[in-house]
Amino acid sequence: MIQVENLTKRYGQHVAVDNISFTVNPGEILGFLGPNGAGKTTTMNILTGYISATEGRALVNGVDILEEPEEVKKMIGYLPEFPPLYGEMTVMEYLDFVSDIKQVSGQEKKQSMEKIMDLVKIGDVRGRLIKNLSKGYKQRVGLAQAMIGNPKILILDEPTVGLDPKQIIEIRNLISSLGKDHTIILSSHILPEVSAVCERVIIINKGRIVASDTPENLSKGLDDGTRLIVRVAGPEKQVVKVINEIHGVKFAESQGSKEKDTVDVVVESDPDIDIRKPLFFALSRASYPILMMKSLGLTLEDIFLQVTTQEKEVR
Amino acid sequence: MVAVIKKELRSYFTSMTGYIFVASFLFFTGLFFTLNNMLGASPDFNSVLASILFIFLLAVPILTMRLMAEETKQKTDQLLLTSPLTLTSIVLGKYLAAVIVFFGTLAFTFIYPLIMSTMGELAWSEIIGGYIGFFLFGSALIAVGLFISTVTENQVVAAVATFTTLLILWLIDAIIQGLPTDKTAGIIFALLLAAGIAAITYFATRNIYVAAGIFGVGVIAIIVGYIVNPEIYTGFIARVLEWFSLYSRYEDFQLGILSLSPIVYYITFSSAFIFLSIRMLEKKRWS
Repeated sequence: MIQVENLTKRYGQHVAVDNISFTVNPGEILGFLGPNGAGKTTTMNILTGYISATEGRALVNGVDILEEPEEVKKMIGYLPEFPPLYGEMTVMEYLDFVSDIKQVSGQEKKQSMEKIMDLVKIGDVRGRLIKNLSKGYKQRVGLAQAMIGNPKILILDEPTVGLDPKQIIEIRNLISSLGKDHTIILSSHILPEVSAVCERVIIINKGRIVASDTPENLSKGLDDGTRLIVRVAGPEKQVVKVINEIHGVKFAESQGSKEKDTVDVVVESDPDIDIRKPLFFALSRASYPILMMKSLGLTLEDIFLQVTTQEKEVR
Repeated sequence: MVAVIKKELRSYFTSMTGYIFVASFLFFTGLFFTLNNMLGASPDFNSVLASILFIFLLAVPILTMRLMAEETKQKTDQLLLTSPLTLTSIVLGKYLAAVIVFFGTLAFTFIYPLIMSTMGELAWSEIIGGYIGFFLFGSALIAVGLFISTVTENQVVAAVATFTTLLILWLIDAIIQGLPTDKTAGIIFALLLAAGIAAITYFATRNIYVAAGIFGVGVIAIIVGYIVNPEIYTGFIARVLEWFSLYSRYEDFQLGILSLSPIVYYITFSSAFIFLSIRMLEKKRWS
């Protein structure tokens, strides 16, 4: 659906996007993840035809955005970082104007406006001036704007910024349901959001793609072992010694005591061995009861920090 | 394009700008109509139109300052530029909206000749000619204002820059009088002109070779011109600056003469600045 080849954007000496390539399949929800200034917005601006790339090209449905911009723009709905709203218009007037410039006309216009206002829940403010709306409502009007004209592709730059937690969940659910018949690219620096909504994640740092996979595979791929944390009632040294003697344990490290007469130990084992049963029997033989056992999978947050800081070390 | 025109017209009259423009324009035409025609007992309405030309200095910046500057500032240009509209239809829509407001206001003033016609015979063809000239002249200045509004994202800067530019255009005939007319000055001016074009080329393309090439061609052309006919440099500065003399071309209209060349001139002038505005927006997305 979307094909990006060796895209580069330079501002004078500064390289905002550095030779990135990726594809997005129809119906996929792709997440762009990256720290501020990583090049997420620049990439989205290029894809939507707002700015031009210095090098490389972007194809939407096989059409080059530079060669036939009008064709491509008809297929894309864009919610930029700052929703492009006219403060002096009412919500209805605004959506009417957007319908006009997106060439939605007549009966279809009325219906689609009603449907969209219903979906993003802005029907109750339809008569109000946009400048008097709260940030959350403005954001949702911006989202409504992107959906007008029923584009096949939605590009959403930080769609949940400024919303309260309840609205965030609503918008996420909305995006997930839109994902059934739309191709969606969304950017965020909020990690749980990306893992909750997206089927695939691209992590960008300093204009480069540093990782690209499903959220689950990303956690697996960077996790070179299985880690557990156990809380054991017993003396620190003996407990660590007993655990270290179990077959398959790579190392065990004490985290100190968080409860009286206990010790917390992080155990790392080979990925293909389930260490939990041997751990239980070994400690019970030594009569050190296990009070708690929890696996420590890497969260997306850990991965994010890991890949973005690794990149820094390489440079 | 119709959507853009509608939106611009609405925004003129949901904010103060449209009303300020209409009010100040009608105030001054009314004032000069009263002074010249009523109190002065003159049937010459074209002299009213000619006396209120100065109002463009203030009225055009009011009309054009926010056209593109505000869109850039509020980032609403992202909506327009990522919609299936072409740049041409965006710019043309904005230009036409400003021209429509101007035209509508001008139409109001038609009541003055109508009042006069109740009191005697009027030279209608002369008045119509004067109106056509006045309208084309205003439209050309609106195109200048539109272009300046695409350059900056600050409305105040756009307004002040437009005012200054119009003032220079207004004074250009007086400036021409004071400039040297000898050959040396003409040649130096021609060289500066070539250097200026080369500099603009350099900033637009960042290619030093192309810019140097253009300057070289310019210098050669100047030398060849001098060898062929050195007289072309006499009064050269004045002749170049006269290209930008919008006001002097209004004289025919004031006399009620509807001649083709100033009409073509004003339309070309407007088109050139609309074209430049489109190029400016295009350039913004490449830089």
